[in-house]
Amino acid sequence: MSIHQFGKKFITLLYTLTRACRIYDLNNDVVITAGQKFYQFINSLFDIFENIEIVRYRDYIFFNKQRLRFEIEGYASLQFIDNRLKHLDIKTIVISKGIEKDEIMRFITIFKETKDIFMNEIKQKSFPHIFVEFKTTKDEIPDFLQNGERTKKVYFKALMVTKNLMQNLWVNRTVDVRSSKRVVYNLIDTLSRDEFGLLALTTIKNFDEYTFNHSVNVGILSLALGQRIGLSKKDLVKLGTAGILHDIGKVEIDKGIIYKPGRLSTSEWEIIKLHSNFGVRQILKTRGLDEVSLYAIVVSYQHHWNYNGTGYPPRKEDEHPIFFSNIVRITDCYDAMTTFRPYQPTPYIPPLAIKVIWAKRGILFDPVIVKAFTQLLGVYPVGSCLKLSSQEIGLVVRQNPGHIEHPIIKIILDSKGKKVDGHTIDLSLDKKVSIINPVYPQKYSINPASYFV
Amino acid sequence: MVTEVEKIIIEMVKVTKAFQMYGMEHPSFKSFFTPFYKKITEFLNHNRELKLQVERFTILYQDKEIYKETEKELSIAFRLFRDGIRNIGFTDGLTADELLLFLDIISKQSKDQDIALNLWEADFSHIEFYVVDEEEEEELQYKIPEAPIENIDYDEILNHIRKKEKIDFEEEIKPDLNNTELSYLKNEILKVEKEPILGPAISTLINFLQTEQFSDIIDSLTELAKYSLDQQDFTNAHTIVVKIKELTEKNIIEKFENEMQIASFKNIVDILDEKKFNEFLDFISLFSKKAIPHLLNLTTSIKRPERLNAMRNRIADIAQDDPSPLLNFLESKNEAILINAISILGIMNIPASVEYFEPLITHPSIRVRSALITALAKFEKPELIAQLLNDPEIEVRIKALRALCRIKYPKIYPVLIQRIKSKKFHDYEFTEQKEIFNCLVANGDIQTIKLLKQILFRRLLFGRKRYKTMRHLAAMALAQINSPEALDVLNKGMHTRNKDIRNACQQALTKK
Repeated sequence: MSIHQFGKKFITLLYTLTRACRIYDLNNDVVITAGQKFYQFINSLFDIFENIEIVRYRDYIFFNKQRLRFEIEGYASLQFIDNRLKHLDIKTIVISKGIEKDEIMRFITIFKETKDIFMNEIKQKSFPHIFVEFKTTKDEIPDFLQNGERTKKVYFKALMVTKNLMQNLWVNRTVDVRSSKRVVYNLIDTLSRDEFGLLALTTIKNFDEYTFNHSVNVGILSLALGQRIGLSKKDLVKLGTAGILHDIGKVEIDKGIIYKPGRLSTSEWEIIKLHSNFGVRQILKTRGLDEVSLYAIVVSYQHHWNYNGTGYPPRKEDEHPIFFSNIVRITDCYDAMTTFRPYQPTPYIPPLAIKVIWAKRGILFDPVIVKAFTQLLGVYPVGSCLKLSSQEIGLVVRQNPGHIEHPIIKIILDSKGKKVDGHTIDLSLDKKVSIINPVYPQKYSINPASYFV
Repeated sequence: MVTEVEKIIIEMVKVTKAFQMYGMEHPSFKSFFTPFYKKITEFLNHNRELKLQVERFTILYQDKEIYKETEKELSIAFRLFRDGIRNIGFTDGLTADELLLFLDIISKQSKDQDIALNLWEADFSHIEFYVVDEEEEEELQYKIPEAPIENIDYDEILNHIRKKEKIDFEEEIKPDLNNTELSYLKNEILKVEKEPILGPAISTLINFLQTEQFSDIIDSLTELAKYSLDQQDFTNAHTIVVKIKELTEKNIIEKFENEMQIASFKNIVDILDEKKFNEFLDFISLFSKKAIPHLLNLTTSIKRPERLNAMRNRIADIAQDDPSPLLNFLESKNEAILINAISILGIMNIPASVEYFEPLITHPSIRVRSALITALAKFEKPELIAQLLNDPEIEVRIKALRALCRIKYPKIYPVLIQRIKSKKFHDYEFTEQKEIFNCLVANGDIQTIKLLKQILFRRLLFGRKRYKTMRHLAAMALAQINSPEALDVLNKGMHTRNKDIRNACQQALTKK
């Protein structure tokens, strides 16, 4: 079992026990059984670990320094424990060797209570093997979590490598496959440490060279979605590579058409549509025929195939897109909708794009993947600007797992429209402020990306 | 503690060298590996982790140099450093398998090898590492692109989008997945893990080929066909060959009908399941006559008779009406090849081949002569089979008699009578005697009953006991004829005073 799996099991058992204690008294069989299982599991962990450390930092939960991912499976338990820790303002819980069942049960009886009761009881009663550290107002970053800089480096490196790759292909030069492989691996590693940080960087859009940013963004969004639904690391490599390379066929299309300002003519659109075909050839040229490339080839060819059988290139009735193509169909569409393009000078704001994708589930998009995607980004994805009931403008800086309509925002404009370095509000907790509607950041001369870099 | 780690690294260097020299299975490697693994796990048990810093030619522990090798070819530090690895950490719980895989990765010295990528792919639970890219060590400049500033009424844009999309923007979004949807996702993930991408990839490349005949695509498909064959995926290989021919008129099958490729099927024909075997047969039916010699070689490795027959039939199909690729093999010194060539020619049933068979009638191998009879029977060439009635081996003679029973050769009748009447007949084994009578019946005429009656009722002064068998064989032959005349003879025999005749007739009528 990996640390991540130990962590997931720990959270599931803690969830079961806490839930049981909320419903039944301590003598109930359900509670006794859940307590016994939790106790046994903790004891088995001490054969491997010195201590058990649970840290909640921002919206991540770490088990012995390993971040636990919010995956579709086990989502409820992780979300429940996350909410408990958040509600109780707990930053760290450390359980040490020698703990007895009685101490665990005493702790659980207060863990299920309100913040006041919990704080009071934890100070009053003796918990020799349980150490609790509360969150401070400074919200200091744990040592092992100072990832921000690294995340940015990984993003910009990915951008640079993708740009080099496509530019070299444009002029028929050889490409550096090793670097592009490393990019995907680094993105996956970064996602497991700092998912929201990396997702926030996908708000970076580039009007002049949108293809490169778009490719990286689609790669990241696909990887984050793949990670959320529980794909293995090996399969994430395939998905991430396919995401980054999905539009690579565009290098065969005249730049004059790709960057043509204004509307494209029908014949120009027909040429653009050929990029799905051309992608096949480019990937073969670039990467040869390993398994990862085969996925990239198929996804590049199928990423404009709609769920209802429409789309291009034309297909036979019995041909269906593979799972990864269905993922990239959504992430590609989302990033394209929210990106400036010569023929789309005013992109959709992220909440609008989410609404459109949601409405077209089962028509253009696989409805189940749309649900998972919406869980990932929320109704107001990171980078969205929201007008608040306080007349302030808030920028969505974090998703709130389990509260897709109530993200964590940062106030960036005060009620008079003046730029401020405002405070952060968790809209799931702070009920005084509510969202009026999402707004275009450009209306207020705001570039959301600048807040994340 | 530093000394302890230094010793571990010295051991690691030895193990790595042993690995490069002998490989993982060799006892010498194991003799180095076992103490090394013991040492490192003991250290980890006490200290929980072992973190090493990597520099160009050195490895440091707690900032103290514990390894130095400036010879690039030999230096473990250099190999790690070159691929961007700056830290390596081992944690408690490290398994022998993990350590072996780690050694395997760091021991390879190819220039194309990327240790960082390989370590990453290995996805270790108890080995951590930190990799830097060249640019990362310098400073990567971040630049946020500016959005174009235009004088736009954004509220109007929002309204415009709402109208254009024709969707209900007020619809509540509830993305919770129900059990069916979760199962769907799990199933899709399982499919990614279990189902090969080969099929969709081949379809994609074929689709592309329909729009454009790009030579790289043909090469790639050819490579995929090769890969498919290696994976025993004959259906995909078949599809590729057929589609390329259909779309480009290029026949890539010649790339697969070579000796090496066909020899690679040697170990699989007997073990493929029924479905796969039929797919395999479908694939080889695409081969041209050029493949026949190699396929003939392949048949020699097939143990399962029904598979061997299926293969012989398929080779006969490939040869079509031209026996020439097989005729050369009738002089083969390899008995198995010779037998298969004879069998396939027999299946093909081309009269012109017969003349090539004649010299084989005296072939020293019983199996060859036996195969010859089967083939000749298919040709309906009894005169050659008849020659084998004089074969020194009883198995061959019996097989020839049986063949002559089936294909009818009246000319053999007098030969058989002569044989029955000869004194030597009594020396034949009963099985052969019986087959001679069977053959007599099969090739006889109206006179046969008369002859058999004579044999059955023959009066004897001496040798009654020895003649008992003759009566028995004659009675059985009459029962086999089963005509009213023959049965009449048997019924008559039932009422004679001769006990031997009575018994023989009774037994024959009962068995009938």
